[in-house]
Amino acid sequence: MTTNPAVRKALKALPFYLLLGAVLLFLLFPFYWGFVTSLKSENDVYNFTGNFLIPERPSLSNYDLVLTKRGYFTWFANTFSVSLISTVISTGISVMAGFAIARLRFRGAALAGTLIFVTYLAPRGFLFVPLALILRDIGILGQISSLYLTYPTFLIPFATWLLSGYFTNVPREPEECAQVDGASRIGAIVRITLPMAMPGIITAGIFAFTASWNELLYSIAFVNGEANRMLTSGVLGAFTAGDFLIYGPMMAAATLASLPIALLYVMFTDRFVSGITAGATKG
Amino acid sequence: MASPSSQNRTTGAFVSRLFYRESTLGPILLSPGFIFLIVMMAYPFVYAVYLSFTDKESGGPANFTGLENFQKLFSYGPYGRTVINSIVYTVFALALKFLGGLGLASILNRPFVGQRYVKALMLLPWIMPTVFSTMIWQWILAPGFSVANIILVEKLHIFSENLPFLRDERFAMASLIGINIWRGLPFFGITFLAAIQGVSVEILEAAKIDGASPWVAFWRVTFPIIQPIVMVVVLISTIGTIGDFDLPFLLTRGGPNDATSLFSLLSYQLTFGSGRIGLGAAVTMTMFPLLTALIVASLIMVRRRQQND
Repeated sequence: MTTNPAVRKALKALPFYLLLGAVLLFLLFPFYWGFVTSLKSENDVYNFTGNFLIPERPSLSNYDLVLTKRGYFTWFANTFSVSLISTVISTGISVMAGFAIARLRFRGAALAGTLIFVTYLAPRGFLFVPLALILRDIGILGQISSLYLTYPTFLIPFATWLLSGYFTNVPREPEECAQVDGASRIGAIVRITLPMAMPGIITAGIFAFTASWNELLYSIAFVNGEANRMLTSGVLGAFTAGDFLIYGPMMAAATLASLPIALLYVMFTDRFVSGITAGATKG
Repeated sequence: MASPSSQNRTTGAFVSRLFYRESTLGPILLSPGFIFLIVMMAYPFVYAVYLSFTDKESGGPANFTGLENFQKLFSYGPYGRTVINSIVYTVFALALKFLGGLGLASILNRPFVGQRYVKALMLLPWIMPTVFSTMIWQWILAPGFSVANIILVEKLHIFSENLPFLRDERFAMASLIGINIWRGLPFFGITFLAAIQGVSVEILEAAKIDGASPWVAFWRVTFPIIQPIVMVVVLISTIGTIGDFDLPFLLTRGGPNDATSLFSLLSYQLTFGSGRIGLGAAVTMTMFPLLTALIVASLIMVRRRQQND
């Protein structure tokens, strides 16, 4: 029996840290494995002798292959522009709607809030069949512009939901004071309340951007042609040969494609966490 | 001579009144979003209901056929499997995310070194794009060269032979559920943690003084208080899990033998694979009663939570 209280305390805490370690291992191992695989040469990828968890001869050949692959930069640019445009459209619309629902007294405000929440819960797989036909009738099925129109269908409901919750907690007095001082209502909203709500607006924006970046169903159902692909569908098609998957380059492509979101997460960790607890979700 | 400018002034006054009164400014600010959702969600929904009663095929006309699609579906083997798969997938994934989430929250609720960073790292499965992390999982579970089998069989000797993670019907479903849990667990853990940390310390102290063990205190005191938030998270996640498309599409394409086919994937395959648009729409429509029940339940929960605030 040890009598040293520090040692005893550490021993008592040991099962806790082991459990914590096991949970972290389960949650993070895939990222590590994907990254490690991306650094292996073609022969080493399928070689499980020795210590396969650390690349013996790290090489960037997979990244080289991905970056010289025709189309990768196009897909990247497509994903970036579609995500950015749908984020800006959706956040703008949602700021107005969220503010109206949270702060203005008018007939139907509560009903509008409820309806937005209902659309927020509708799964993406629920409406893609009629959406495809509607896009065909407008004449944009197969083109990237179909995504500008369809991504906001899942971005606006959740951004409005998030923002109306946020606006409820922004104090009203500064806006009212500005109006007493002669500012118009719109002026007071834009100059006083919006800056105060900026953290919430940023949260809605990064969630919208992340959700667009990650979208799969619409990008494979509504868009055709190599040049119109998103990263998700592009990477999937590029490194699949029938049933056979080319894992080395695929892991490099997945790592590169996840990088912008990782960067966003590092920059805005707190915003992500507050957005999650506010109820933004994908299950 | 003064009339044009005075007219400008009155229109200007009219417009500024519109933007001043809450009863008019509210609808004005709401209208872009509202119109958009009517055109892109309400209208498609009505359209989907209509399509589900027709024999619409890709390139062909839509003839009204009444309930024929639904009759076809109920005698169509893959559809029956899809219903059962969706129930199994959702029930298991949700039960385990719920329990795991509570466990994770109670781990994180205890102060330890580097907690801030651990929390940030733990969220990665939920933050990182699902499509790309699922590609990694596919590589982890790949037949033949999978690192999961190498570790479980050759290194740890837990199993004597390779497990057919995505090749066997039951294993494939279990793998999908496992990956769904992996992705959703951080979300459950972090929201539950926030809820637990919102419970007032006084109440917990009082329970402790009354002699309640931590286990009893949690289920008798903490859990009833956080229950509304827990319910909202569970319901939202249930809807997302039933409607999941990404995991079965990326990992198994619904196979083997439709063992991992879910509603969205079956509908996608019927619509874009076989061009049977009416039938594909009918598949999504059969989700509707269930979704309605879940959405109504969520609404009631959210109301209750807002009233408690």
